[in-house]
Order: sequence, then C-alpha cells, then structure tokens
Amino acid sequence: MSKRTMPRLLQSPAVVLLLVWMLIPLGMTLFFSFIRYVLNSLRRPEWTTPSIENWRGFGNYDFVLGNKDFLLAVQNSLLIVCSILFLTVILGVLIAVLINKAFPGRGIVRVLLISPFFVMPAVNAVLWINMILDPVLGLQGIAVDGINALIRDLQNLPVLGAFFGLWPELSPISFRATQTSAYAVIIMVTWQWTPFAVLIFMTSLQSEDQQQKEAAILDGAGAWSQFRFLTLPHLGRPIAIVVMIQAIFHLSLYAEIEIVSRGNGNKNLPYLIGEFANNNIGAASATGIFAVILANIVAIFLLRMIGKTLME
Amino acid sequence: MGRIVLENVTKSFGDAEVIPPLDLTIEDGEFAVFVGPSGCGKSTLLRLIAGLEETTSGRILIDGEDVTEVSPSKRGLAMVFQTYALYPHMSVRKNIAFPLRMAKMEQGEIDAAVDRAASILNLGDYLEKRPGQLSGGQRQRVAIGRAIVRQPTAFLFDEPLSNLDAALRVGMRLEISELHERLKTTMIYVTHDQVEAMTMANKIVVLRAGHIEQVGSPLELYRTPRNLFVAGFIGSPTMNFITGEEAAKHGAQTIGIRPEHIAVSASEGTWTGKVGVAEHLGSDTFFYVHDTGLAETLTVRATGEVSFRNGDTIHMTPREDLLHRFDAAGERMA
Repeated sequence: MSKRTMPRLLQSPAVVLLLVWMLIPLGMTLFFSFIRYVLNSLRRPEWTTPSIENWRGFGNYDFVLGNKDFLLAVQNSLLIVCSILFLTVILGVLIAVLINKAFPGRGIVRVLLISPFFVMPAVNAVLWINMILDPVLGLQGIAVDGINALIRDLQNLPVLGAFFGLWPELSPISFRATQTSAYAVIIMVTWQWTPFAVLIFMTSLQSEDQQQKEAAILDGAGAWSQFRFLTLPHLGRPIAIVVMIQAIFHLSLYAEIEIVSRGNGNKNLPYLIGEFANNNIGAASATGIFAVILANIVAIFLLRMIGKTLME
Repeated sequence: MGRIVLENVTKSFGDAEVIPPLDLTIEDGEFAVFVGPSGCGKSTLLRLIAGLEETTSGRILIDGEDVTEVSPSKRGLAMVFQTYALYPHMSVRKNIAFPLRMAKMEQGEIDAAVDRAASILNLGDYLEKRPGQLSGGQRQRVAIGRAIVRQPTAFLFDEPLSNLDAALRVGMRLEISELHERLKTTMIYVTHDQVEAMTMANKIVVLRAGHIEQVGSPLELYRTPRNLFVAGFIGSPTMNFITGEEAAKHGAQTIGIRPEHIAVSASEGTWTGKVGVAEHLGSDTFFYVHDTGLAETLTVRATGEVSFRNGDTIHMTPREDLLHRFDAAGERMA
C-alpha cells in the first residue's frame, strides 16, 4: 500500500456519504422531471409508479413553463429574496455601526437585537400577520385609527384646521390581499433576519483596525469618508457571506407564505413545487430543477455585484 | 515652518495622571526623538500633539497658533504608525493619494504629487499593488509616502521601525534621516530604542513616567547625563554604576563609568576582576567582569581583538576625567 492510499481509504466513507447524500436526491429529482409520475390517477394507473416506461422528455418542463403561476412564482421569488437582502444588509450595517461604540447597557441591547432570530419562522409569521399587520385587530389597525382620530381633532383647530382639512383620512392596508401579501412576507422575514446580519457585521467591526481610522482622521477623512472608504470595504466579505446565506435560505421560504396568504397571488417557487407535489411529482421535480438553476444564477450575480461595488 | 510648543500640558485617563504638567519646545526643522521605557507616556505625548488624544489641561501651539482645540486633520501634521495603518483594500497609489483626495484636490495635481512622493521613496514599481502584497519595509515606505504628499508642517513617527527586522531597521533609519535632510521639515519620532534616538535625533527628549528627565543633543546626553536614569538609558552597553566605598572616594553616592571609558590590561590596573562572558564583535569586545568588589558585574569594552577568556583575571583602569558622579538623589554632581 503506498503512502497515499491509506489516507484516501480513510477519507472515502465520508466522501462517499456526502456524494450519496447530494447526488441521489438530485438524480431522483432529475429522473422524475423527465417522466410522467403522479400520485393518484384513476384514468392512467400506470403513471403512479416511477418508471422509465413513462418517459416524457421535456414535457414536464413545457408544462411548468406553460403554467400561469410559474412566471409569477419566479418573479415573486426574486422580489422577495432581493428585497429582504437589500433591507437586511442596509439595516444590518446601520445597526451594527450604531452599537459598535461602547455605551451603558450595550450587552442587553445586543441580546435583545439578536432575539428575533430565535423565533420560529411559522410563529414569526403568525405573530406579524395577526398581531401587528392585521388591519383591524393588529397594531397597524390601532395605529391608523389613532392617527385618523388625531387628524380629526386637528381639523377642529381654529386657524390650522383648514390646513389639516387637506389631509386625507388614512385607511389600513390589508396584508393578506393578493397585491400586498408579498410585502408582508418581506417585512416579517426582514425583521427576523436583520439580527443575523447585525451579528455578522458586529463581529467584523470588532476586528476593524483602529490605527487605520486614526490615520484616516489625520488624513482629513470625516465620519462619512471613514465609513465609505474604510468601514464599508472592511465589511465587504461579511456582506457577501450574509447575502449568500440569506439567498439560499430565502429562496426556499415556505412557512411565511403559507400562513400569510396560502399562496394566494404570492407563490414563490418552493410554494409552487409544494402545490404540484400534491399530485404531479413530475411537474414538481421539473420546477425543482428550475429552482436550482435560479438559485445558482442569483448567487453568482449577487456575489459579482457586491465584489465590484465594494472592493476598490 | 513647524515650531511646536507644549505649555503646561497634562493628560489623565480617569484618575491616572499619565502626563504631569510638561513644557517642551521643538524648533522648526528639528528632528526630535522622544525616548523612554515602555509606558513612560511618550506615545501619549505624540498623540496629544497629533490631536488623537485631548489634553486634560495646558496648551499646544504650532507656529505660535493655539491648536489645543483644533481637530487633528486641521493641525497640518502627518503621522506614521507602528502598524503602518495602510488602507488594505486600496492600491499603493490610492493609499498615498487618500489625504489629497480628502482635501478635494484635482485629480491631475493628485497624480503629480503621488508620482513625486513615489520617486522620492522608490515606490514607482509598486504603485498599483495592494499593501498586502508588499514587504514590511515597503509598507513602511508607503506610510511615509502618504505622510509626505500632504507637505505637513511636521511629521510624527510612532515607533515606525519596531515591526521590522534588524537589518531593515538600520536601512530605514538611514532613509528617514536622509528624508529629514532633504525635506528639512520638523520631525518628532517616538521610540524605546536608544540607538535609534542617538543616531537620528538633533534633540533627544528622555521621558520617564510622563516626566521629561532631560532634553538635549545626543552627545550632550551621552557626555553629561543629568541623573542616573538618563545615564543608564543612553549609551550601549549601559553605563556601569558603582556605589559604596569606591564612590565615596570620589565624594559621591554613586559613580558611573561607561564601558568604553575603561582601559583593560592583563597585568596592572585600579580594579581587578574575573572575566565572565566575553562578547567578540570583531571591532569591539565586551567583557562582563565579576568579583570586582564594586558591583555585581562591570561591563568593559576593549577595541580590536583582545584575548581574555572566561575565568581570566583582568585589570581595569577607568578614565578619571570621564567619570560621572551622582549624589544621593541620583542627580549629577558638578
């Protein structure tokens, strides 16, 4: 046995296990996406078992592309993922910079800031949609009522009343509606994932070189220039990490969409896969392959963009 | 111009007074070195001048103008840091251009200034590289380049060579001295290494616990140290101190004699002892002599190759005219 055979041999179980773990599901998905395979069919009982006999070629892909919900689901996936990434990165950087300086009670503030991340996604969705965003019973409804009452009071003022008379009466937004349910998902997931971004950026800020900052101060850089030319480039890599990890997680959002609107006008790709998988496994698998392709495009595109803008 | 005056400057961190009231004048064009053991407040003093620390009381004047409350960037000073503090994601060119860019200078002027600085420091080949791709010495040169493009009224160096290896340090020491000759700008240089202080300075400021122990030219400090601390700090190897009877003979509490002011002989001399370790440097030989009855160890320098070995008896004669006498308080006696 040569010197290198032994280590290879010892490594092989782990490598094989990982390969099997990845390749078998991917291979099965690919296989199912090219055959007719449904869970239940009285007319064609032979389609209920996966078999090469039922080969359909790109028929499942054609079917998915022709589905009226598919394009909407892709758009929605991208809208939700990109909005969440945009918001969490900006909020994360701002909050991390804000709490980077020492102040009394910083430890408690940090723990409180991290805590949303420990709420379960489904619980998060239920809390937001029922207790906060609900147009009647939620905080939103109460707040809108309060503002409207205040404006009515102001309209009764002697002189300024006329001015306030020009203000419209606010009406609460229903976040379960077709047009707005995606925004509800964006808001609640942003709330939950901003702490993740804050956590990563905070640790990175701790390692920022203070002498570089002092050098920049002597070089005449103000607070904004220091942030723009030192802190932001320093955060380049952590931002890339946050974007990568979140892109992976949020492309597969499911619980929030289910709870907010049951996919009504607000499907993303995983939700569409779920709907197909009620019966049509072939179509669900084809959608799954589309989702894999989309995830790769998003990851590559986003990382390039960040790399270009932040590194000088 | 670059005359820096400190008037009654103090600095405290909480209750701890790091710099007790201190007065100091650094003339225009001088190369002043703050030297002292670690924790003596020399870096704090430099940061006070730079404006990176606020003075607790007292005034700092640059060219007669009170800058105590002026922000660091408006003081017209440039600083070179121990860790270089280069901006890691910018090329060397952008690093050097940064202060000019912050000053909203035109791009054409910036390029000209950067090229000028690069040619002074031989950085032409590295302008498009990142700091991470450079060696320690090159990084230090970039840091100096970033300082000189601004044409500051004074340069501040905070232990700039302590992260370099010994050979490079000697080279950079020369380069900085040459830069001073060339620019004739005031420079303030902080170091704990008395060799750097002796070789580079016009004026050495010896500090201990925030106090100025002595200010003077390198040779002044070498010839007439004002007290035991300065005498022990300046000069390498350090001065021999002898107390007791031998000192009393000279009417002092302590007498000091530098290793290079003792003549050695195999046969006769004022003092006798046994050679411990001998360090042969070729040009010089240092003997560490024990059992003299004067002090634990006496260090003696002999020029050239002298053949005393470990355990040999050695006779030593100090040069009486170069003997330093100190009183009970450790102050120099006339």
